Amino acid sequence: MWPNIANMLTWWQWSILAAVPPAIVLLYFLKLKRRPLEVPSTYLWHRSIEDLHVNSIWQRLRRNLLLFLQLLFLLLAALALLGLNWRGTELTGDRFVFLVDRSASMQATDVGTSRLDEAKRLVDEMIEEMESGDVAMIVSFDDTAKIEQAFTDNRRLLRRKLEGIEPSAHATSLLEALKVASGLVNPGFAGEDFQLTPDLLAELYVLSDGKFPAVTGFSLGNLRPTFISVGSPDAKNLGIVAFSVRRSESNPEVFQAFARLENFGGEDVSASIDLLLDKELIDADRMEIAAGETRGVAFDVGSVESGVLKLEIAAGDHLAIDDEAYLVVAPPEPANVLLVTPGNEPLEFALQTDSTAEIAELTVESPAFLKTKPYLAAAAAGLYDLIIYDRCRPETMPLANTLLIGSLPPTGGWSAGEAVDVPQIIDVEAGHPLLQWLEMGDVMLAAGTPLEVPPGGTVLIDTNEGPMAAVAPRERFEDMVIGFRIIDEIAGDDGKLQRYIGTNWMTRQSFPVFVLNLFNYLGGSRDALETGYVRPGKPVALKTLDANAKLRVRTPSGETLDLRSDELGNAAFTNTAELGVYQVQSGGQTQQQFAVNLCNAAESDIRPDPKPTIQIGYEEVAGAPARQSARKEAWKWLLLVGLLILLTEWYIYNRRVYL
Amino acid sequence: MPPTSTILTPELLARLERMELVSRKIFRGRMKGERRSPRKGQSVEFADFRNYVPGDDLRFVDWNTYARLEKLFLKMFLEEEDLHFYALIDASDSMAFGEPTKLQYATQLAASLGFIGLIRGDRVKIETLGQSARDAAPVFRGRRSLWRMLEHLEAVEPGESITMVEGVKNFCLRNSGRGIVVLIADLMEKTGYKDALKYLVSRDMDVYVIHLLSAEELDPDVEGDLRLIDCEDGDVAEITVSAPLLKRYKQTLAAFVDGARDFCNRRGIVYLMARNDVPVEDLITGFLRTRGLVR
Repeated sequence: MWPNIANMLTWWQWSILAAVPPAIVLLYFLKLKRRPLEVPSTYLWHRSIEDLHVNSIWQRLRRNLLLFLQLLFLLLAALALLGLNWRGTELTGDRFVFLVDRSASMQATDVGTSRLDEAKRLVDEMIEEMESGDVAMIVSFDDTAKIEQAFTDNRRLLRRKLEGIEPSAHATSLLEALKVASGLVNPGFAGEDFQLTPDLLAELYVLSDGKFPAVTGFSLGNLRPTFISVGSPDAKNLGIVAFSVRRSESNPEVFQAFARLENFGGEDVSASIDLLLDKELIDADRMEIAAGETRGVAFDVGSVESGVLKLEIAAGDHLAIDDEAYLVVAPPEPANVLLVTPGNEPLEFALQTDSTAEIAELTVESPAFLKTKPYLAAAAAGLYDLIIYDRCRPETMPLANTLLIGSLPPTGGWSAGEAVDVPQIIDVEAGHPLLQWLEMGDVMLAAGTPLEVPPGGTVLIDTNEGPMAAVAPRERFEDMVIGFRIIDEIAGDDGKLQRYIGTNWMTRQSFPVFVLNLFNYLGGSRDALETGYVRPGKPVALKTLDANAKLRVRTPSGETLDLRSDELGNAAFTNTAELGVYQVQSGGQTQQQFAVNLCNAAESDIRPDPKPTIQIGYEEVAGAPARQSARKEAWKWLLLVGLLILLTEWYIYNRRVYL
Repeated sequence: MPPTSTILTPELLARLERMELVSRKIFRGRMKGERRSPRKGQSVEFADFRNYVPGDDLRFVDWNTYARLEKLFLKMFLEEEDLHFYALIDASDSMAFGEPTKLQYATQLAASLGFIGLIRGDRVKIETLGQSARDAAPVFRGRRSLWRMLEHLEAVEPGESITMVEGVKNFCLRNSGRGIVVLIADLMEKTGYKDALKYLVSRDMDVYVIHLLSAEELDPDVEGDLRLIDCEDGDVAEITVSAPLLKRYKQTLAAFVDGARDFCNRRGIVYLMARNDVPVEDLITGFLRTRGLVR
């Protein structure tokens, strides 16, 4: 940014200017001819100047202060005439839209205090350069956009609103922000048909680190985009991109925590990793992760009933919010199982063993219950995890997983063939969780109807006559259908119903195992296993046993928010902006906890593109230096300083003030 | 009715008439005056008795005592004598500065003090430093001499070029008698004033030094680049007036005045600094009174 010089004078004008300094010096020395003054005695004066003579060079300099000031003024005047200027920046246009990215990655501290602060600073500079009458609008965005300030020419207001932009942990979506900006700038915008009003052109400044997908299906209209990339190429970050906990493959009793760490920096890093359970350190590790590499880390957690697992990494990087992740390990929740049967003692017996009672709460009803209001409401609300229909079927499928024994679901494309006698089991899908660890070679069937499995379904038990058991998905649920009956009632010759045993499966070891599999898989009964986590800003579905229950959610920062569940006991909590563990309380008791983690590789990746561009519609917007460069003329300032020097000189001359 | 003069105004004279010169020492006078003398003589003030010895003036025999004791005693009386008052004025060129000039001020001061002496019957002699050793000034005595004294003072002109030591030496040669000497000078002597004062002290005189400085010297109102020319010897000092220089000048002046005062105090000389913008009347009725020269 060296100053440029624009010659504004011709040679003879320059020579006149060049003659002025010698003239001043000459005049000064002429003037310096000392005025003689007769005094009574020079005795005291001589003695006074004796010691002042010691530093006479300084004396001389001081004596010539006025001369120097005059020469300095002349120099400044000459510089002003030289047309000294430098390359500065200038804001062009009169309507501005500032889109400020406040997504998680903008919390990186590689530039200034943070990228967001840097972006705010840049916007502040641009606001400073606005000329009077210019209007500007500020929109902050992450995955949603917020109009911080609509068009105004009030710079103080703009600055205050700009200052109020807070960073979030959300992902980035430019489209939202562009829609908002466009909606305010393009008043006639309606789909593809909009009116281009040239006088309403607005300069769009996007201040972001550019970590967002290309924006498609958007037309800029009157917006003239400029992309200002915020971020340093040296940014380094090691982030947790995934965190989960699972039962150990080898030993189902213990849990293992898995995390995936990715190094988004340009250098290899060494990170220490701590795993805490309820704030107590239970394991730690240290690992080297090469630049750009991803590494997994596994910890043996042991058997955990419940608690909050926290994973911390310390690598001294630029983004802190992805250095922590939480998981809530919830206590097992018994599955809510409904058995609808006209009477099936072997099945009821198998369903009510001690071990099944731990994982499921069983309700037994007769088929008449299917017509009642409580059933209809509960089925529609999805209060049951699993409904077993034994030799009966509902009119509409409930919001639950189902097992139908000897009957077909009314919907879903199921059908059955003709009843056959003594089908032979020839294959069992032992890989399916429902039939794992099952040995069915010794099971015999008296009769059955081969099933036509709908598309997407899986045949579980195949016989020589056709599939006798299958499972098929239905929306988010799964329906299992068994084609044979365990107990059958057949009208005898005398017209009386007689009970027959349809299979010897109940007497085999595989049957209780199947029931356990059934509860575990279709009953949705989870062991003490993680409930997963949600991403910041995403809604969390909360469920209560009571309808219209009052819930209180305590955020990680200790704030409490009240909400009420609907008649079906459902509530949606949307205020998940903070990272950490949220507690859901009902009646003063913590009912449920859930964790909000960043775990977003796109946000953790804080490396700016070497050639930053963003794609908006069909337009590629290249990253720009902050603003358009313009020649900044210096003569005003030079003359101002010169005027001050003249005033000083005048003051010194008149008041005899000496340094 | 005292005669009017440019030097002494009637009002000043009226005030001065009530004063008298005080000497810290008792000197012998030459003529009878209004002061006590160490000599015993004829006056109304009784001093002592002594035995009669043949040849004594019988007029002084105390006949009353003789009548009681049948012994002759002589009554002795304190002799009242005149005081020698000298005013020594520096009439060099440097005294021609100021408004009024320092010399005018000095003559006025000398006239005032001389007048006090005249009305008390003292011997008043007013001289300048430039007078030669033989050229003695007239002696004034008695109120009638006032006019002559003033005439003498009005004749004093600046322009005497003689060092202070020489001037004082000459003064001492001219005047052998002892008494009060008041030296009115600016002491701005490149050769120094100390030797001169030592001369005076050595003559066992009651010495008063009135250090007279003009307001211009005390607080110089100068500015710019100046070439200062000494009016007496043509010496040149080139200065550029600045705040530090003025400050330094004042420091030097203060040191000079302090030095003179200190020198005088050590030698029993009464030192008094006077400035020409303080009226003579105030100086006499105020400062000189407190310093004991007049009462």
